[in-house]
Amino acid sequence: MYTQKKSISGFRAFSFTLLVLLSVSCDSFVDVELPKSQLTGSSVFLESNTANAAMVNIYAGIRDQGILSGTSLGISHNLGVYTDELTFYGASSYAAFYFFNNALLPSNIYVTNYWNAAYSQIYAANAVYEGVDASTALSTQDVQRLKGEALFVRALLHFYLVNLYGDIPYVTTTDYQINSSVPRLPSGEIYGYIISDLQQAIVLLPEEYYGMGRVRPNRYAAAALLARAYLYNHQWAEAAELASSVINYSALYSDEMNLQHTFLKDSPETIWQLSPAMEGRNTDEAATFTLLAAPPATVALTNELVNAFSPEDARKAAWIGQVTDGNSIWYYSAKYRQAATEAASSEYSIVFRLPEQYLIRAEARALHGDFTGALEDLDHIRHKAGLAGSPATDLPDILQEILTQRRLELFTEYGHRFFDLKRTGQLETALQGIKPGWDPTDSLFPLPETELLANPNLLPQNPGY
Amino acid sequence: MKFISANNGLRVLFYSLTLASFPCSALARAHASPLGEAYFQQSITGTVSDASGSLPGVIIMVKGTTRSTISDGEGRFSIAAANNEVLVFSFTGFKAVEVAIGEQTIFNIMLQEDATQLKELEINAGYYSVKQKESTGSISRITAKDIETQPVTNVLATMQGRMPGVSITQSTGTPGGGFDIAIRGRNSLRGDANAPLYIIDGVPYSSESIGSSYTSATLFPVTSNPLNSISLDAIASIEVLKDADATAIYGSRGANGVVLITTKKGAVGKTQVSINASTGVGNITRFMDLMNTQQYLAMRAKAFENDGVTQYPEYAYDINGTWGRNRYTDWQKELTGGTSEITAFQGSVSGGTGQTQFLFGTNYHTQTSVVPGNFIYKKGGGNFSLNHSSTDERFKLSLSGSYVVQDNDQPAFDPTIDSRSLAPNAPALYDAQGNLNWENGTWTNPLANLAAEFKSRTNDFIANSVLSYKINDDLIIKSSFGYSTTNHDETRTAPSTVYNPAFNLGSEYSALFVNTLNRRSWIAEPQVSYKLDLNRAKIDVLAGGTFQKQVSNNLTQYGIGFTSNSLIYNLAAASSRTIPLSDEITYKYQAFFGRINLKWDSKYIINFTARRDGSSRFGPKNQFAGFAALGAAWIISEEKFLKNQNVLSFGKIRGSYGSTGSDQIGDYQFLDTYTSSGVMYQGIVGLLPSRLYNPDFGWEKTKKLEAALELGFLKDRIFLTAAYYRNRSSNQLVGLPVPATTGFTSLQANLNATVQNTGFELSLDTKNIDTKDFSWSTNINLTLPHNKLVSFPGLESSVYKEQYRIGKPLAIRMVYNYKGVNEQTGVYQFEDVNGDGQITSPDDKQTAVDLSPEFYGGLQNQVRYKSWTLSFLFQFVKQKNQGFTLGNGGMMNNQPVELVNSWQAPGDSNSYQVYTTGFNSEAVTAQSLYESSTANIVDASFIRLKNIAVSYTLPDLSNGLKSSILLQAQNLLTITPYKGGDPEFGTLGFLPPLRVISAGIQLTF
Repeated sequence: MYTQKKSISGFRAFSFTLLVLLSVSCDSFVDVELPKSQLTGSSVFLESNTANAAMVNIYAGIRDQGILSGTSLGISHNLGVYTDELTFYGASSYAAFYFFNNALLPSNIYVTNYWNAAYSQIYAANAVYEGVDASTALSTQDVQRLKGEALFVRALLHFYLVNLYGDIPYVTTTDYQINSSVPRLPSGEIYGYIISDLQQAIVLLPEEYYGMGRVRPNRYAAAALLARAYLYNHQWAEAAELASSVINYSALYSDEMNLQHTFLKDSPETIWQLSPAMEGRNTDEAATFTLLAAPPATVALTNELVNAFSPEDARKAAWIGQVTDGNSIWYYSAKYRQAATEAASSEYSIVFRLPEQYLIRAEARALHGDFTGALEDLDHIRHKAGLAGSPATDLPDILQEILTQRRLELFTEYGHRFFDLKRTGQLETALQGIKPGWDPTDSLFPLPETELLANPNLLPQNPGY
Repeated sequence: MKFISANNGLRVLFYSLTLASFPCSALARAHASPLGEAYFQQSITGTVSDASGSLPGVIIMVKGTTRSTISDGEGRFSIAAANNEVLVFSFTGFKAVEVAIGEQTIFNIMLQEDATQLKELEINAGYYSVKQKESTGSISRITAKDIETQPVTNVLATMQGRMPGVSITQSTGTPGGGFDIAIRGRNSLRGDANAPLYIIDGVPYSSESIGSSYTSATLFPVTSNPLNSISLDAIASIEVLKDADATAIYGSRGANGVVLITTKKGAVGKTQVSINASTGVGNITRFMDLMNTQQYLAMRAKAFENDGVTQYPEYAYDINGTWGRNRYTDWQKELTGGTSEITAFQGSVSGGTGQTQFLFGTNYHTQTSVVPGNFIYKKGGGNFSLNHSSTDERFKLSLSGSYVVQDNDQPAFDPTIDSRSLAPNAPALYDAQGNLNWENGTWTNPLANLAAEFKSRTNDFIANSVLSYKINDDLIIKSSFGYSTTNHDETRTAPSTVYNPAFNLGSEYSALFVNTLNRRSWIAEPQVSYKLDLNRAKIDVLAGGTFQKQVSNNLTQYGIGFTSNSLIYNLAAASSRTIPLSDEITYKYQAFFGRINLKWDSKYIINFTARRDGSSRFGPKNQFAGFAALGAAWIISEEKFLKNQNVLSFGKIRGSYGSTGSDQIGDYQFLDTYTSSGVMYQGIVGLLPSRLYNPDFGWEKTKKLEAALELGFLKDRIFLTAAYYRNRSSNQLVGLPVPATTGFTSLQANLNATVQNTGFELSLDTKNIDTKDFSWSTNINLTLPHNKLVSFPGLESSVYKEQYRIGKPLAIRMVYNYKGVNEQTGVYQFEDVNGDGQITSPDDKQTAVDLSPEFYGGLQNQVRYKSWTLSFLFQFVKQKNQGFTLGNGGMMNNQPVELVNSWQAPGDSNSYQVYTTGFNSEAVTAQSLYESSTANIVDASFIRLKNIAVSYTLPDLSNGLKSSILLQAQNLLTITPYKGGDPEFGTLGFLPPLRVISAGIQLTF
């Protein structure tokens, strides 16, 4: 009897305590505030500063990761070893090993990284475009400029992707449901989109550079890319016209006659360059290509390239450095020289510079039948390098001379050599005997294996892989 | 449920405190009441001992009363009792003895160890404890006795090979590195979401990484986690909860098992001081068999010949005479073959009276590196425990805490791969002047990397208090409060001195990487338990709540370009500084849990547990979920029909079914945000889209089923536990891989796939011999796990198509099917599955190989002869794993000695392909295919003498001074067919576990 009573009172106490415990609300204890390092997506585009920060982060990404990076993982380096610009001396643990041997596999992480980084940057550009578009708080100038920059970036990255991988998807939204099943489009259509994006960008972008330095694309950066896109797309008249629009804008652009100064950050030839991560830092290219001691640890310029310069070519002395161990000499690209940090940066990585526009126009003019104009542009480049005018008179010779000048002018700059050989159909002849592993299907990279798995609409794989 | 909506955290604390403050007045009453009436009694005295001497801490109770005492340090006792009363002597692990007093007033009692102790043992199940005999769940356990014999520093190391269902792999031999643990296999498709929940004295202990890849990627295969901070000397026992019955009360955090760590407490009796000191040495367990110079140069010469190169190129220093062709260095011995010196000290003082017991402990441990240079790992700390109860035993207070400091100084680079790949005739490390030798820039001196240092310092504090008050015999209210904090600083330097001095790179190229992490967590768990005794039925009820908040601050910085290398640790001296990460992460967690346990006739037991959990890691609609389990046991040996026999002393059939969950997906994943990228452009720090936005993902659920049989024979001298389990995890919470065209590579989402882990676990304990002078006992544990992807709707069209196969384990790897060396070309061949004439991925990468262990376990023996004890443990694992390859044979790096049997000329049928220096691009491609082919999945099984320990207890030197001498060894012997070094690894190419031999003394007085 007693036990029972005690049990009952105990049970009451138990129930009471339980009630107290359960009365504490379930819902809001586990709500958390935003972490301090994050902002909600929509609030980013309510302020000019944060919208701008979202945009510059894309350029920082382009500078540091993927295709246009100046490190030994970028195409300046890897397409150099892939073709006939650089010889590779390192071990198989380096990324460049597989590029050098033309032995890329769809599982190659560097090939995958180019793809992934580019589309991640394209996503960010689309997010800026959509965010700015939806924002009611930004000024019209900000809206137009940021939209123009986003379109420029989108076109730029797709341009490199289509030239590396062939048919690719053109991504214009942030919607992952659409983007996860996008199909490949024929490269002709891709050029259509690139051209259309750039035409819009030219309208939207201001003539002047935004902020310090020439590190934000302006109207002429978009025009320079558009000129190149037209050239690659065999639209000669348009290519020449766009190149002229840049060349003729002398308020900003003029020749840098001192070749030692071509790659300094204040060069008047620069159309668009990438800002270093911090004032005082310089380019990754300097560290990537400069040889400090002989023998080279990873890469040196090929003898074929070094020998292609005639002795009087001033670019050879200005842009090629050398090291020796007493017996042999190795050459390196000395366009960028400052690898260390200084009090103030002296060199920025230049993506678009004026001489390329002359060469674009020369080629476009030649193919459009204007040999005089073509030779004028060609000789403009040759004279700057201390060379006499070109003796070429007929179209094949002019084109060959343009190709040579492109090789000598633009070596180790963002894979120009590879793209030029490829679009002019000369990969086989140029690489024969130099690259034993070369196969005609190597003109396209393989699509990343992970990508084909994730999106079967991207099938089939490029031939040869 | 929504009675109150604001300031809940505070309210909870308030309620808990209110609950806890009850006892004070009750305590006062208890003190006021008279205790006993001793006037008619006499004083009974005596001593209690066991086979090896006097026994302190034995509880002596007058039967049927509340009068009791405890034997002191010499086993003496004194208690008042009348001559018609009976004394009961009881002590955990010993058979209780009852003696009628009669006329006798002095008793010298000898207690005998209880052979049935195994099942009488109280085991910790977290929120409650349960007698092993009556447990309905699956719980494995090791105690201080098993831990003390092991010269290791990580808590997971102590468990290796000792627990069925618990698979533990050491990932690096570098001190401060980590271990991988899987309790009953991998439940989640996400490789990093299979960690168990760790709880130390009731306080959850986050095992989430505290390191940063900026600082430790080149040293540790995974960034360091806080588990190294747990002081092994302070541990009394470790229980691992495995099945639904044991883990469902941990709800959303129980899916991967729960590791409960209980620290040592003071015992009633004379103040006891215990001191342990030991010193030892450690070496790498196994090296690879690599080529010597002669074999190596022959390979190189043949490679050039194969490539049609007649004049050795300038850069072929090894063979063109630049380096001595007769040099030979065993680089493995040179770079990782050093001896690690290990010292350990531990001391503790403990004691107490019936009301208050205490323990203070301290420990210190140092370990040097096997890598050349003065690298050292230091760990030291202190711990305390204080228990108090009021004289009427109603109010109880328990406090425990520990503080541990780790100081780790290591080279920033693990030299293992260098030590294997360097050409055997590579130049000397030092020149004649004793400076690093760069051999005119023809090689990168591997010792230069040692100038880059990794340093870490971890301070870890954890404290817990439990207040409980017994309202009446049946009802106890209790509240625990825990607090833990971890401060971790990690730095890595990259001084310019790692480069060849010929490069003339000064301190403007030096860099410093700094990672600082601070994590604080508090937890409050008010609970109430109620007991109802209805003659045949005994009911235990428990209900409680959990409120937890954890805040982590993480700051990662690096600086480049220093004024001088001697200022490299001063970030302010860097000419440029970058902050890639500065973040504060808050995690909040709330739960209600309960348990109802019903015992009928001490034969039939039903245990119901449930938990409702809320976590801040999910979006507003998905924060809460419920989990529950039912366990049942039938003790058949209590049945009448089994009473009249002597063979089966114990028999129990038990089973359980229930659900648990996992919320290991990281924080804030449901938000659509931009994160500061820490990277600058044009002087502006960028903002980065954080992730693809999906706010709708929810909990991962694991349903666990278990059936087990526990049998004791011959007074439990043979005790067998056999368990079958089947865990099914569904609603898989994954970073669903999406094509990179979406801008990301994964999207956080629930995937409708089911992963199943089944297995048998056997544990057999035998007491082979048990006499006064000689005893020998054996434990065998064996686990036969099987992991399988049961269902995955749409696998064929999903991104996991080439990663998983329905019906196969998660740990499969899709590889090419190796078909031997082509006798004509000498190049590796593979099966062309789709017959298109090319070997391509994924079409030809279609052979699934299983890398999960087939079985694993341990065989443990304990032998005692008079004052000598010997224990040893063999750990065995049957498994396959990746071989260690060093690229193409013929290039400028060393190769396993087997590669001397490479293809030489058409017609050869050797097992390794043609040598090439890289010119043969077909062979280069084939080599990379080979590395992901069946040929490179090799037997990595092993049997390891994991631990052996001998101790000798010296005769008592003086009054109460006990001393013993200990000799211990870890990983003493390894038997394996694996050729790539040590078979125990998670990621290839890191230092293997060390073989440690140590000697020490133990003093107790």
